[in-house]
Formats: sequence, C-alpha cells, structure tokens
Amino acid sequence: MRGDPWSLGAAAVFAAFALLTLGVWIPADVETGAVETFRRRIVIGDAMAPTAVAIGMIVTAVLLAVSTVLGRQREEATPDRHSALFVVRLAAVIAVGLVLMSHTGPLAVDAINGLGGAIGSYRELRDTVPYKYLGYLIGGAVVVGGTIAVVEQRLTRGAAFAGIIASVVLAALYDLPFDDLLLPPNGDQ
Amino acid sequence: MGVLDHVWLGVAAVFTEAPVATVFGLPISITVVMVALGFLGGIVVGATPGLGGPFAMAISLPILITIFGFNPDALLPVLGFLIGIMKGATVGGAVPAILFNTPGTPDSLMTTLDGFPMTRKGEAGKALRIAHFSSASGDTFSDLVLFTCAPFLAIAVEAYLDFPEKAALIILSLAFISAVVGNSVWKGVLAALFGMFFAFIGTGEDHHPRLSLGSDALAGGLPLISVVLGVLIVGEVFRALEEMWREKRATDAIAAPAASGDNRLRLRDIRRIAPFVGMSAAIGTMVGALPGIGSTLAATLGYATGRRLHKGAVRFGDGAPEGVAATEAANSAVSGANLIPVLSLGIPGNVAAVFIILATETISGFNPGPAVFRLTPDQINGEMVIAFGLFTTMVLANLLNWTVGGAFMRSMGIMVRIPKQRLLPIVLLLTLTAIYAQRPEMLSIYTTLFFGFVGYVLRKLHFSVLPFVIAFILANNLEEAVRQAFSATGADPWFLFSSPISIAFMALAVFVVVFFARGRGGQKSKGTPQDE
Repeated sequence: MRGDPWSLGAAAVFAAFALLTLGVWIPADVETGAVETFRRRIVIGDAMAPTAVAIGMIVTAVLLAVSTVLGRQREEATPDRHSALFVVRLAAVIAVGLVLMSHTGPLAVDAINGLGGAIGSYRELRDTVPYKYLGYLIGGAVVVGGTIAVVEQRLTRGAAFAGIIASVVLAALYDLPFDDLLLPPNGDQ
Repeated sequence: MGVLDHVWLGVAAVFTEAPVATVFGLPISITVVMVALGFLGGIVVGATPGLGGPFAMAISLPILITIFGFNPDALLPVLGFLIGIMKGATVGGAVPAILFNTPGTPDSLMTTLDGFPMTRKGEAGKALRIAHFSSASGDTFSDLVLFTCAPFLAIAVEAYLDFPEKAALIILSLAFISAVVGNSVWKGVLAALFGMFFAFIGTGEDHHPRLSLGSDALAGGLPLISVVLGVLIVGEVFRALEEMWREKRATDAIAAPAASGDNRLRLRDIRRIAPFVGMSAAIGTMVGALPGIGSTLAATLGYATGRRLHKGAVRFGDGAPEGVAATEAANSAVSGANLIPVLSLGIPGNVAAVFIILATETISGFNPGPAVFRLTPDQINGEMVIAFGLFTTMVLANLLNWTVGGAFMRSMGIMVRIPKQRLLPIVLLLTLTAIYAQRPEMLSIYTTLFFGFVGYVLRKLHFSVLPFVIAFILANNLEEAVRQAFSATGADPWFLFSSPISIAFMALAVFVVVFFARGRGGQKSKGTPQDE
C-alpha cells in the first residue's frame, strides 16, 4: 500500500469519530438544532458548531487520506510496539502514584481509627500535619521516581531520592507560603 | 483622555503600584520585581536543555495566580513575569547551543552551527557576547514595532470589521496556523477541528450543556488550563520521556573547551555583525507578526539570509560570528512581534501568546483584542492602561537584558549538567500540582493527563498540537461571532460573504490552505516551521 499507513489510519479514525458524532452523539446530546426559530427570529442553535466541525473533519480526513495515498513521503518515526510498551509502563507508574496520592492519607487515618486511635475523619484532618502531606509525598515520589525508573529502565537509589526530594520540595513550595492552597488530594475530601 | 494619558498611566502602574522595597530612596514596585524574576528565571530555563519558555510559563502561571489572586491588580505583575520568562528563555537558549552544541530551545538549533565551532576555537566568550548583543538588539527592534503597530492595527480592526468580518478573520487565522505549522496541511486542519470540537463540549446557549454525556464533570465545559497544559506541556513531557527511554543514552560528563584568544566584544565586532543583526531583526519581526509561524522559522530564514550576505574569511558553519548574530537576532525578534496578533486581534499566534491569553482569561479584567485600544472621551480605558503597562514591562525586560542579561547568561553553562530524564518527571509533578492548586479536585489532574495523552498521540502521528490549542481557545469566540453575524445580517446564510472584506478573508483562508497543500499533496517538505 502506498502512503503512510499511520496517516491513513488517523484519517479513518477521525472520519469514524466525526460520523459517530453526527449520527449519534449530536442527535442524542444536543437539544437545539443547527438552526432554531426563537421569538419569530431564525437563530443558530447549539448543534450548528459541532455539526459544522464534524462535517469539516470528514472532508479533511478524506483529503488527508487522498493526499497520503497520492504522496510518496512516509513519516520518519511512527508509533510501534515500543511506543505501546512505553505508554503502558508510564501509565502504570502514574496510575499507581495517583492511587497512592488519593488514598494513602484516608487509609492511614482509617487504620489509626481502627486501632483505637479515634483521631476523627480524614476530612477533619486534611489540613493537619502529617496527614495532609501523606498522600502527596508518597504518591508524588512514586510518580517522579517511577517515571525516572521507567526512562532509565532500572530503579536506582538516585531515582528514588529524586522522587522523594521533588515531592518534599514541591509540597513545601505550595503548602508553606499559602494558607488557602490545598495539595492533592485534600480538595476532594 | 488621550493616548498619551493612557501611556503615562500604564508606565505609572508598572513603577508605582504596590511597592515592595526601596532602593536608594526609590520605591520598587511588585511588577518591576516580577519582571526581573521572570527574566532571570527565563534565562535559567532557556539554558536548561529540555526546558523552555512555555514550560516555565505553564508551571508558573497557576502559582502566580495563587499568589496574586483573580483581581485586575494581579494582571501587570503576572503578565510582567510571563513577559520576562519569554524574553529570558530566548536569550538563555543560546548558552547550551554555543557551549555544548545542545540547543536549549528549538530555535537555538541554528546557533549551534557557528556558536559551537567558535567555542572549539576557544572563542566561547565572544560567541556568547555576540549572541546576547544580537538577541537584545532583535528583541528591542521587535518591541518597537509592536508598540507602534498593534494600536493602529487594533483601531483599524475596530473601525472596519463587523461581526461577519471578525468571524471570517478568525477562520483565516485558524486556516493560516493550520496550514503553516507542521508537516501536513490536512493534519493541521484536522488538529484545529479536533481542538474546536472539545471546546464545544458543555458549552452553548441552551440550558442543556451540549455533548456532555450526562456528566456533571463535562457540563461546565472542559477547563482551559487542563486542556492547554495537558496538550502543550504534559504531551511534550511524555514524548520527550519516550525519546529518552528509546535512546537510553549514557549521560557523559560535559566539559566546555577552555577559552583562548580574544573573547571580548569590540566595536569592530559590532560593526561587522550589525548588517546581519539588522536584516535578521527585520525578518524575525515580520515572521513573528504572522500567527502560527514561530521563532524556529525566523532563525532558519535569518541564518539563510545571513549566509547569502556573508563574504567574510570564516564561512558560515565554520564558526562565523555573523552566523550566531543572524540566528539570535532573528529568533529574538519574534518575541515582541508575536504579540501583535494577540493585542490587536485577540488571536494568539504561538505558544507564548497562548499563555498570555490564558493568564488574562483566568485573571479577567483584560481581554486582548481590538477593543483594548478604544478611546472614549473623558473616560479612562482600563484595558488600554494595562496594554501600555504591558509594553512598559517589555521595555523594562529589555533594559535588564542590555544591562545584567549578558553576564547572567554567561554564568548559566552549568544548567546543561542537569539530567533531562530526571528533570522532566519533576516538571510533570509540578504541572499536575500547579493545576490542582488552581482547581482543587483530582478530576482536573485526570483531565490534564487525558489531554497529555491526546497531545502525545497527536505528536506521535505527526499532527501539530498548536492548531489544536489555538482552535480550542478561539472556538467559542468564533461561534459567538458567527451567531451574532447571522443575527445581524437577518439570518442570511451567506453572511460570511456579505462584504468585500469578509469575502477577501475567506478567499485568503482557502488560498492559504490550497497553496500550502499543493506541494506534495498536503505533505509539506521537511523543515517546515513548527513552533512548539
């Protein structure tokens, strides 16, 4: 097949997305049409803009596909299985970091309460040291250290140290000077 | 109140409001301090390979807003800091390019061609001085053009353009940006349409938030800061991390060759490089004034033009000071001129301008566009005062550049030793924390990461992200202009072709797309401008 298959694939995905939007999403999730009559005046409705954009996407996707087939140029670096592997590893590290960020503080408080500590709920303690820092420090260190480990393809003491230092410095940067600023995840609690 | 009154009020706002210290009996205002901090910080960031002005602007904006709040008094300190970063990063980018053959910013790539050979000849000091002199000259020239052109252009736009023409102008700008940025016109247009589509989610005039999938999170629309920082910054961090993961290069110790010979910048050197600086400053300013074409193209054009002009003993590419001068003057001249479309039309043309718009939209009290320069008899136009205050901060940053910028820049060689693979994950956490600080809910972090992934995928598929971001920002303005134009012309479906000016804009939009698409069936040649 002539042309860059990734460009053809992208054109197909955009065209399919636009067709789905035109056929399903806009009819189901926009309450006014492309043009409406409001107090005996014809006005543009909420469906006009997304409809016009979706039609534009279909036309442009076709033009991209045609230009790709007719053209000879292939992109130099396209996604491959290594890209997928990298994305999966990075996503896993960030997901673990964010889960720890969200739940470490509440879980620690629940554990202390469960052991008879009776210190109250996390919501009551979310502006109290050390609970307000727990999630951010652990989750942030995992995000930074884990990402470095993914890139360097091994977990070193330097990566772990960089993660811990970065999360401590950033927590201090955002929390110490500002009384009304919340570190993740304390605004959600 | 006349224009000069507004100019004076703008200058006074920068130098007298909210003094934080006194030096030799003179009060130093917070805006002056912020411009200085931004400028010096920008040099540090520019000198750090892998970072750049947009990174620093993205990270600092939420912190600045937290410090200064959402009131109009915050505008000048925040904008002053961003302007400082923009200018400082441009100057700082030359440092690793000259000393270590590693461009700190994409537009410093051409600086390596002659800067590093000069370093190998023991003339690093002279190369840095030439880069600084040329950069400061180009920047100053560009700012002067901005100060004179933007108000007149804005007044002309306000006087002659009605809703149909304004809608057509936004379409023309988006078409131009989509066509000139990236390797494929059709990919640029698709990216712009995709960005526009996301802007329509949760917005509209009906009580039902359109395309929100019944989700409360989408009902209020997608947060501007999450989308912009996600696509521009997080997406770039992901891409750069993957590149490093693939290369897994060993970070060798980097040592600069020792200085030898004459490293001072003498009058005869200035006379020698002056024609190249002048030519490149003009090229950079012209390029910068056009939306979507950025400093990378300006540097390339400046260098190529300089090479044609050059008749010296040392050829371009072998360590010619004129090569460094031509490149640095051109890429620095973009930074002032690229605010012309923002301040006169309200249309951001590049990444730095996107952050200026982001700051003004977040803080409120200043809406860049033609109305900024509207004069009303016996009334003060607060927005015009801010605009002239902004110009004053640019002059201030230039003064800093001419005085302390050179010495500070030459001391920044150490920044190249920071390992990029450790810096970028910290930038990622910093960006996510900054976004949470502004919108304290984990959803804002998830949204940012989602758009980071979108930005990463777009980059992997060689779609330019700049049209996506600018279309996202302008989409609702365009829709509003279209709605009003449709109503104002009595529901004329051909409202975009109702006047000679709007017809000309639409014809030009089609021409630009077709012209750039003609080349290789929509695939442009390599080396096409991509200012991201």
